[in-house]
Amino acid sequence: MAIVQSSLSRWWNRGAIALVLVLLVIMMIPLYWIGSTAFKARADTTTVPPTVFFKPEITPFIKLFTSRVQERGEPDKAAYAKAPWWEKQVMDGGDRFIKDAKGNIESSGYVSRFVNSIVIAVTSTFLAVALGTLTAYGFSRFRMPGEDDWLFFILSTRMLPPVVVAIPMFLMYRAVGLVDTHVGLIILYTAFNLSFSVWLMKGFIDEIPKEYEEAALVDGYTRMEAFFKIVLPQATTGIAATAVFCFITAWNEYAFALMMTNKNAQTAPPYIPSQLGSGLTDWTVIAAGSLLFLIPVALFTFFLRDHLLRGVTFGAIRR
Amino acid sequence: MSQPALTGSTQSAVPAQSDAGRGMSDLAIRNWFIIPTIVFLIVFNIFPLLYSLGYSFTDYRASMNDPVRFVGLQNYRELLEDEYVWANFVLTAKYVIMSVAGQVVVGFGAALLLNRSIPAKGVLTTLLMLPMMMCMAVVGLFWQLLYNPSWGIVNYVFFTEGKVWLSDPDVALLAIAITDIWMWAPFVMLLSLAGLSAIPPSLYEAAAIDRASRWFVFRHITLPLVAPLLLIAVIFRTMEAFKTFDIAFVMASMDETELVAIKLYKMAFQEWQTGRSCALAYIVLLAVLAITNVYVKYLNRLKAR
Amino acid sequence: MLKALSRIVAAAALLGLAQVAAAQGQLTILWAQWDPANYLQELVKDYEKQTGTKVVVETTPWPDFQNKAFKEFTAKGSAYDMVVGDSQWLGAGSTGGHYVELTEFFKKNKVAEVMAPATVAGYAEYPGKSGKYWAIPLEGDATGFSYRKDWFEDPKEKAAFKAKYGYELDVPKTWKELGDIAEFFHRPKEKRYGISVYTDNSYDALAMGIENVIFSYGGDLGDYATYKVGGIINSKENIEALKFYKRLYGYTPPDWGKTFFQEANQGITEGLVAMSMNFFAFFPALANPTTNKYAKVTGYFASPKGPTGKQFAALGGQGISVVSYSKNKEQSMKFLEWFIREDVQKKWADLGGYTCNAAILKSDAFRKATPYNEAFYQSMFMVKDFWAVPEYAELLTAANKRWHSFVVGGKGTADEAANGLAKDWEATFKKYGRAK
Repeated sequence: MAIVQSSLSRWWNRGAIALVLVLLVIMMIPLYWIGSTAFKARADTTTVPPTVFFKPEITPFIKLFTSRVQERGEPDKAAYAKAPWWEKQVMDGGDRFIKDAKGNIESSGYVSRFVNSIVIAVTSTFLAVALGTLTAYGFSRFRMPGEDDWLFFILSTRMLPPVVVAIPMFLMYRAVGLVDTHVGLIILYTAFNLSFSVWLMKGFIDEIPKEYEEAALVDGYTRMEAFFKIVLPQATTGIAATAVFCFITAWNEYAFALMMTNKNAQTAPPYIPSQLGSGLTDWTVIAAGSLLFLIPVALFTFFLRDHLLRGVTFGAIRR
Repeated sequence: MSQPALTGSTQSAVPAQSDAGRGMSDLAIRNWFIIPTIVFLIVFNIFPLLYSLGYSFTDYRASMNDPVRFVGLQNYRELLEDEYVWANFVLTAKYVIMSVAGQVVVGFGAALLLNRSIPAKGVLTTLLMLPMMMCMAVVGLFWQLLYNPSWGIVNYVFFTEGKVWLSDPDVALLAIAITDIWMWAPFVMLLSLAGLSAIPPSLYEAAAIDRASRWFVFRHITLPLVAPLLLIAVIFRTMEAFKTFDIAFVMASMDETELVAIKLYKMAFQEWQTGRSCALAYIVLLAVLAITNVYVKYLNRLKAR
Repeated sequence: MLKALSRIVAAAALLGLAQVAAAQGQLTILWAQWDPANYLQELVKDYEKQTGTKVVVETTPWPDFQNKAFKEFTAKGSAYDMVVGDSQWLGAGSTGGHYVELTEFFKKNKVAEVMAPATVAGYAEYPGKSGKYWAIPLEGDATGFSYRKDWFEDPKEKAAFKAKYGYELDVPKTWKELGDIAEFFHRPKEKRYGISVYTDNSYDALAMGIENVIFSYGGDLGDYATYKVGGIINSKENIEALKFYKRLYGYTPPDWGKTFFQEANQGITEGLVAMSMNFFAFFPALANPTTNKYAKVTGYFASPKGPTGKQFAALGGQGISVVSYSKNKEQSMKFLEWFIREDVQKKWADLGGYTCNAAILKSDAFRKATPYNEAFYQSMFMVKDFWAVPEYAELLTAANKRWHSFVVGGKGTADEAANGLAKDWEATFKKYGRAK
């Protein structure tokens, strides 16, 4: 921005920061609500009028990891007396644990789905970004016959609602044996994200002046070396942004995860709303599940924040 | 060697051999970089697309084992003659415009505000992006709670005591659009911010020396340089807005909020009219293709400038 | 890093394969994700103890339950041995060849005599009155009402009610009384409302709510045998019923245009409404004092009578069928034989499942077991269902559109809605070659 900051522009700056903060508060209110619901007692979630101040508890998280069933009346007194404090809290909430033959509490499957999510999202993001960057570079630097059409084709793969391709996709996967496998979902998400990653990376790579590579080529670099040593480093913002978006898409994907997986490879998103079947939805558990699920993706973005904001700093030559 | 770029094009004439004969030729690189992706996408998408295209010409119902009858264009004809389908399209178009416009205003606006040196900019940006990181199904569920006048907080935040949002035919669509904007404006914001950060300060300095007005700077420096990325954001958000299903389905079930994707879902997975739903999907696809085509042509023109 | 990633993926794939291998020799039942499925999972542990065969209840959320089941059927997959399907799936399941016909099983085990007759007709028989059976009634369900006993028994309220309407305030015996009570308790300024009724349009909630009233008013959804709907779906009685339902909607809390079972219960637990219509399957949450602070003063009653004395409850509930593509059909049959035993049915009822066994339903032990079981028992002998033909969902979509538009959207008149629906349904039946 301007080198010399006049007092007017300082006021503009302050005004802008104030507006940003206002926007931040407004955007955060629903998230705050979801987050606080994760710590509420079940009875506080849908009170009339809404409960803003409450005594926090970690019962929702206990419930998140365990298999439970709703009690139809008062909890069994004998079992209540014997139970450890965390089990008592769950019983206070009107549930009881499902225990297996040996008396161990059965886990709810949230952890395994969380792990599935991580494996599938990380792998497919990596593949989508890598392939996308290569393809984007190819389209950006070289002329390809029918290039606009190819690019448009790539874009169009993302236009159909999943509903429509669900059945043939399901049949296709069944035939190949990929239903309910990690590999199946990884391939699916990579394909799904490719269109976005190609387009976005091409947008970024187009902004990088060709002159640098040409200078490098003159200096004796091969094209590949120029790609890896000159173009990629300058494209870090693009790679970071693409990685973030692809990861978010794969992480939160719901429709295909629900359709294509059952127990083995199911990710967390189809699982989190599973509380909806009971007569009274336990919003606290859904909130707790969502909150925990938000953490990896938020951390991922946070760690990449500097790359996201860097921009292409070599401004000497511009088109 | 490749010609220096005189115009906006960043493409080299192909093929060209690298001088020392080491490494791969440009042609080889181009092919190896591009073709695997294209082949992968074709293989992956071609079967489902052809399959559903085939279905669309039949009266197939996936829930039954009846013999499949070829009906030609009957499905398409019936759908295009159905006034409800047209009403649906108009409604969806309204929704897309509302939602994408809102996302651009909020997102681009936020990016403009953030494009300066602010303390903790990275943290702020990450926080502002949190809505986008939530799972759509969960967002719809919770916003449904939030909009309820009895136990939700939206009426308290907007000071609209007792206002009914999701059951009011006039406001329901807007309510869903607001949720959509809340969730996806950060997407537009991030892309715009990346574009804005790439504008070299020297341009602004030159403009300041020339005493250019803020509006002039915005219109002639900022906007054109950020336009490509902004347009990519708009293209993708438009495509996704046409496909909106999760939030709308979970939050409201009025006639006035039946978006095309919801109709598709009901047709395909409640009524099991598989053939007909594929026909509708292809009609939607053609519409989206046409609209996106316009955007892409505009984007290409921008880039060529 | 790529190497580490590929190792993770390979390990996960191996894990997946191992799990598939372990799945042989075990039975898999598919159901929706809700408490009865949890109760079933507890119940089948007994089967494992007694016979050594492990039974796994796989669940999926309600909105996607039909999806998942029928996709598997389309692919002729063997992932599920049995499915606890909705009563409306009988048409598609039987004519589509997805269910194993159980008529012989019924005859051999005298199932039709053991289970309540209305449940056999609703959950097992297709086509109607044909004597062909496709499922064992597993979870009985019907619509019923919960209400605030304390509001009803408050002497001041009773006095005011008697003064205004001329009869005692009590559990309504007719729909007219129910309407009066809803009107009486509808006090928006005090944030108290008369009633909660189903209005959710996304699947069958609204239709279930309205068909309750239609049946009790003496109307019907059509002739199930000849598929004639003109003059029946838009009969005088149906139009009266529609108008009445719209009147009831006027007594609901604000923003009540997309309500199904959760909101119906929340109306009671948050102290908003005097009465709430809901399926019995969701009443356990109301009886639990920790989830419903008004549990002790919440009462339940069955659907009231219509003006001509007819009384019906909308059928919910599911029956368990054997999937014809399963690889364990014999074992599934054995499991079903075990399931219909009276002692197992009794344990099923004790755990929380809604048995359809007539003897148990009639028994005092069952009727007194929970506050709502008495009303449930009454309801199960007067249930009536929506269409179960394979194209039922199209009928449902049309009904939802017309009825929701009138009741919630406030558009058009009841006559227009009913007549429009008759046209829609006639067109649908014509399309499938049922009507002449």
